[in-house]
Amino acid sequence: MSDDAFLRVSEVSKWYGDEQVLDGVSFEMDRGDVTVLIGPSGSGKSTMLRCVNRLAEAQEGSITLDGEEVLSPDTDVDELRRDVGMVFQSFNLFAHLTATGNVALGPRRVLGLSEEEARDRAAAQLERVGLADQLDSYPAELSGGQQQRVGIARALAMEPKLMLFDEPTSALDPELIGEVLEVMRALVDEGMTMLVVTHEMSFARAVADEVVFLDDGRVVERGPPEQLFERPEKERTGRFLERIASHD
Amino acid sequence: MSVAGPLALAASNSLGALAGAASAAAPAASDAVVPAIGSIDPWLVGDPVDWWFVLRNVDYLGGGLALTVGLTVASILLGFLVGFPAGAVEVYGDGPAKRLVETVGVVLRGTPIVVILLVMYFVIGVPQVNLGIGSISPAISAGILGLGLRSAAYQSQIFRASLASVDDGQLEAGRAVGLSRFEAIRYVVVPQALRRSIPGFQNEFTIVLKDTSIVFAIGLAELLTRGYDLFTEQTTAVLEVILFISAIYFVLTFTTNRALDYLGTRYAIPEGESA
Repeated sequence: MSDDAFLRVSEVSKWYGDEQVLDGVSFEMDRGDVTVLIGPSGSGKSTMLRCVNRLAEAQEGSITLDGEEVLSPDTDVDELRRDVGMVFQSFNLFAHLTATGNVALGPRRVLGLSEEEARDRAAAQLERVGLADQLDSYPAELSGGQQQRVGIARALAMEPKLMLFDEPTSALDPELIGEVLEVMRALVDEGMTMLVVTHEMSFARAVADEVVFLDDGRVVERGPPEQLFERPEKERTGRFLERIASHD
Repeated sequence: MSVAGPLALAASNSLGALAGAASAAAPAASDAVVPAIGSIDPWLVGDPVDWWFVLRNVDYLGGGLALTVGLTVASILLGFLVGFPAGAVEVYGDGPAKRLVETVGVVLRGTPIVVILLVMYFVIGVPQVNLGIGSISPAISAGILGLGLRSAAYQSQIFRASLASVDDGQLEAGRAVGLSRFEAIRYVVVPQALRRSIPGFQNEFTIVLKDTSIVFAIGLAELLTRGYDLFTEQTTAVLEVILFISAIYFVLTFTTNRALDYLGTRYAIPEGESA
């Protein structure tokens, strides 16, 4: 990829105490790209994702987003996170707020919209994820799939340049996974730039521009999905894919 | 009613039981301890004379009630204003600030309230506070400060526990949309923590209300102390005065606890069947 990559992760390393969880990870994304990080649990893919919006701090390497260095101590993390939406495995919806309240909080408090503008924006985003009929529902009143869609709407309401998905369907009952993937596919069609950690291989195969296989904190192999899934170059990639496939 | 208060009541009861078993010895013994025992039923609390005495002194008790309510409200308020930030510092702070708050809290919670009040009044010597429309006497300021700071020490633990009970993912999700740490705590964690604080706060409110009576140690006469004054003046009215005062305490605790219950229900986070 070119030098003016939209997101460039280069040689990123991170330790928790003595334990190294990321070891020189590098990859790039262009605007509108969908990159899927796969790998066994503990491989560092979630940590890698969280380094991009600095919910986790990388100790070495460089991450540039739209030309700006993310890891610099001068970076305003709050400003960075305005531009980078995040969807969590366990949804993490604000339990005391309705669906509308969840989505409107960022626009209201971070972007400084008026109460009414924020609610309008929230309603529009909730409609976008198919929840126009649940505006006033509280998280505990929603199914897991609905909660995750509120989580996506909450991130979209900030009009991010990049969306991070941290295993968005891993906490869902199987019958609820489809509705979330459907919303994500629609985002792909709209041209959203997305970095996704997931175990949904069929989703990765269908929408990813590039798949990055991480193991032990290292990039083992990366490439277009058809290549990585059909003709993996590394033996470890093949073994991982076989293991995953046998559980499908 | 017996003449000499609760002690005499207990004595006359046990002596009465003795009298049933050994009728010859009992009257003489009870005469010696309580002269009027033979003619008064200790469980009679309906004597109109004694109730009339209570009613005649309602305004005197009302003055005490005003002090009780004033001390409670001021102390709880001070306790909240100091205790909530203190609890937040214990959860989110670090370094010297956190250690200082923890240490002061341990000292305040470990010191008897009488000692705290005496220190406030006699050692620190809180001055009179002028409010323009009136002034608060040194004893009352010392009472508010002593009760309020001790309540702050307890309230800090209520809020510490409730703040810490909110899942970390909530704060993280707030940060992820670009809220600063303070904003995420303010808009995401605190609203949930305050709801969870209500049961603990109900306890603390009730305790402070009843503990206001300890300001007698620095010469203040609130509801209970004034009741004590009354029944030492008319010693046949001990139970009547105590019952009357207890009823007032009950109404105060019951209504405020119900009000807080209502608050808890009103702002309860709805829970669905699915999750």
